[in-house]
Amino acid sequence: MNLYAYGLSDEITAAALAFEEGAGIEGAKPFLIECGGIRAIVSEFGGERVEVTRANLRAHNRVNGLVLAETTPLPFRFGTVATAAGLVQYVEANREMLLATLERMRGCVEMSVKIMWDVEAMRRASEITDETLPPTAAVEGAVGPGAAYLAAKRREMAASEALKSKAEEIVAWLARGVGDAACETRTEVEPERELVVRVAHLVERVRLDVYRERLQAAREERAGELRFLTSGAWPPYSFSNIASQKPKFA
Amino acid sequence: MTFEPEIETAQADEFIEQLRHVTNVLPERINVDAQTVEQGLAKLVLTLIELIRRLLEKQAVRRMEGGGLTPEQVEQLGLALMKLEAKMQDLKAQFGLADEELNIDLGPIGRLI
Repeated sequence: MNLYAYGLSDEITAAALAFEEGAGIEGAKPFLIECGGIRAIVSEFGGERVEVTRANLRAHNRVNGLVLAETTPLPFRFGTVATAAGLVQYVEANREMLLATLERMRGCVEMSVKIMWDVEAMRRASEITDETLPPTAAVEGAVGPGAAYLAAKRREMAASEALKSKAEEIVAWLARGVGDAACETRTEVEPERELVVRVAHLVERVRLDVYRERLQAAREERAGELRFLTSGAWPPYSFSNIASQKPKFA
Repeated sequence: MTFEPEIETAQADEFIEQLRHVTNVLPERINVDAQTVEQGLAKLVLTLIELIRRLLEKQAVRRMEGGGLTPEQVEQLGLALMKLEAKMQDLKAQFGLADEELNIDLGPIGRLI
């Protein structure tokens, strides 16, 4: 019988958890297996591959959320299936890395900030003409379609760089606003998209109120210009190595 | 203290739409069933060609800005890159691939393009 693996913890105990029947993937009841001081949160799973459905995604997050209410787990990426022996072997082979990551995540949760901007308005504001670029003799002296193509590419690249700078300014502004309320940050910036910035903050539970206050102040500061979606607390999916890469089990 | 996640936004529908798009371009495995293997491989190969094509364009623009090319060389380089872009459009259309599909998520280090 395979196991579906939700996450790892060195603090959680069976007594602290009250998993209900049906809380896990495909209605299975989660339980813990001991891997030499690190416990894996798992449930029985009949298949080899988990379907990506709303119910399964919710179950994965619900179980990690229940653990998060007690302690901070290292969540596995959705869809992690292994045998009990494979899990134990994985933990043994990666013990030092896992213990160090558990220590780094201890007492923390992940908070998420997503920011949208009006990308078309930003493009218009970043519009580049040949006159705004430094002159080059090659462009001025060439008049054929090939030169026109390269000149257009040059303008596109300059506009793209300008857009990127504006997006990076938002990232820097948010970092200043949150300050030391976040102990680690993961950022994804896509200047060409409406959803321009996605940030995950690792926040100590004891500093959550400070973090929320600072974030709220930042949101209000640029509410007319940017649109925000904030969420959390989540298990540290973005900061846990085992969440971003699918572990190889024996 | 509760750890039931809170979600706050005044533009839920817009974010759902955008996040749906992000989910649609999450990293995928190459599907190796007989019917779709060709398209999966084409997507991978075209992504790499697209990356190289863009690097060539950037290099050409840098050389042009650096003043190291004569107007004739700029014209020839521009024409070659223009043809390469047109060829890529043909290939994308042939395999039914959109521009945003030509990318690879490299996990913690971001997207390839």
